Formats: sequence, structure tokens, C-alpha cells
Amino acid sequence: MIEQSSVLTAIAIMAVVVYLTRVSGYFIGLQFRHIPGIQPILEVLPGCAFMAILAPAVRQGSVSELIAMTCLVVLMWRTNNVALSTLVGMAVLFTGNTIFD
Amino acid sequence: MSTWQSLMLGFRSSGAYFISTFLFGVMFGITAAAVGLEPWQAILMSATSFTASAQFAALEFWESPLPYGTIALTVALVSSRNILLGMAMTHHFDGHSLRRRIAWLFLLNDPGVVTSYRVDKDVDRLGYVTGYGISMMVSWLTSTLLGLSLSDLFVNFDLGSVKFAGPLVMTTMMMLFIKGSKTRSTPWMVSGVSALLLHELGTANYLVLLISVGAGVLAAVLQGRLARD
Repeated sequence: MIEQSSVLTAIAIMAVVVYLTRVSGYFIGLQFRHIPGIQPILEVLPGCAFMAILAPAVRQGSVSELIAMTCLVVLMWRTNNVALSTLVGMAVLFTGNTIFD
Repeated sequence: MSTWQSLMLGFRSSGAYFISTFLFGVMFGITAAAVGLEPWQAILMSATSFTASAQFAALEFWESPLPYGTIALTVALVSSRNILLGMAMTHHFDGHSLRRRIAWLFLLNDPGVVTSYRVDKDVDRLGYVTGYGISMMVSWLTSTLLGLSLSDLFVNFDLGSVKFAGPLVMTTMMMLFIKGSKTRSTPWMVSGVSALLLHELGTANYLVLLISVGAGVLAAVLQGRLARD
């Protein structure tokens, strides 16, 4: 059980950090938008962060989780439909653990 | 078009993303309950952070004692695209007071910014993106609440599997990145492989993030130089 004060602190940190990313980009852009070569680097940052989180999570995943992930990736690749892919992935995740794990 | 009319246009234009955001919100509610967040805490997080990807990412580290530094770093890195979105809007939010821009930037959101490029030039972009953001916020909060309410139905399921909803949602976003990217995915692959190696070596979570993102950025820089040569 996590203490309430710790949870509130974490939520406050998250809110401040996210808001700063929203507001800072705009004001940085006003000042430094002509710096050459910075945009491609900023563009890869979110994807790098996703991969840094995803890779260990997948490595630790159970059989049903990996099957759900595979279904989701294949569906996303074929249909580009986020809602459908997520629904199917979640359905496999929920039902698969009773079958495979 | 006035700011109010543009705001309403943004609100009305958000149907497709309203649904997918709603889906993510339901899953976030379920996941939040699975990791032990109280309903009011999850709603508070959704209302104040208003960011699906970063909230899911933060829940990956939701254990006692809460690693504030890792959470902050993760949220900052995952939300770093907001910096780019803000920069992309540099020329489009003119004509408003500084106070309004600072306040309304709270609702800066990916689909709002992306679709704002498709609307007529006379549409007020700040109003449009904000209207879109209000719709996303409504979707996000109501769906989080629904997910929290539904979490009891999932009590018989393996909660560890429910926690995997976070990586699943992140994967859909990663797929959108990869499919929508004009450049090669090398930096993301480098980052993923680095994270995997560091994880296998038992490296601390925040170092895994920091080093693997750094490796990805380095790969992006090298990729850029190679492309220019």
C-alpha cells in the first residue's frame, strides 16, 4: 500500500512535468525555432522513450501477453485502426492468460 | 472565424479520436485500479496530467516506495513530443494574450495539433486546438471513471495481465510513430535494443531510460549526418 501523500506528490510531479513540456515547447519555439537540425532529434525522442519502456516489458511478458502484443502489432500494421487493434489485444490479453499461462 | 467558433469547430471535429481516447481511458481506469490507485487519485491524475501515454508509463513504476525521479524522467521523456507540438504551433497562436496562451496550452493535444493543419486558414488555431482538447479531456475523464467502475469485473483475471495494458497502448502509439514517420526507425530500434541489454544487466530503471534514449538520440544524429553526406 502506497501512502496517500506519496501518491499525491507523484501526481503533482507528473502534472507539473507534463504541463512544462506543453508550455515550454511553444516558448522555446518562439525563441529558437530557426536552430537547424533540432527538429529531427526532437521527433525521435518520444519513440525512443516508448521503446526504452516497451523492450524490458516485452522481455518480461508472459506467453499470453506476448500473444496479445503480436495480435495487436499485426492488426495495427494491417488496418492502422487503433481502436480495433487495442480491443483485440485486450481481449486476447484477458482471455489468453487462462489458456496459456 | 472567432475564437469561440473555432473552439466549437475543434470540439465537433474530434469524434474519431474521442472514441480511441475513450478506449484508452477505460483501460487506464482498469490499470490504475490494478496497481492500487484509489478512484479519486486516478481521476485527479487524469485531470491534471491529461496524457494517456505518460500516465500509462508512470504506472509501470507504481510501487512502494514511489520512485519520483524515475516517474518524472519517464513522464518528461514520453511527453517530450509536447515540446515539438508546442514548437509546431509557434506561428499559429498569435493574436492572443500571453495569459490565455499559457492557460490554454494545458490542453495542447496531438490530434488537435495534427488536424489543425487541415482546417481553413481563417480558423483560430488556439481556439481549435483548445476545443479539441476539451473534447479529449471529457473523453479521458469519463472513460477513466468507467474503467475504474469496471475494474471489479476483472477481479477474476490475472491483474498482472491487466497491467500489461500499458505496454499494449504504448505499442499502438509506437506503431503510429513508425508508420507515420518520414525517416527510418533506426533510432527507436537502437533505443529498444539498448534498453533490453541494460535491463538484462540489471541496470536501474531510470538509467535504462536515460542511456537508451541517449543512444537513440545519438543514432538520430548519426543518421542525420549520413543522410546529409
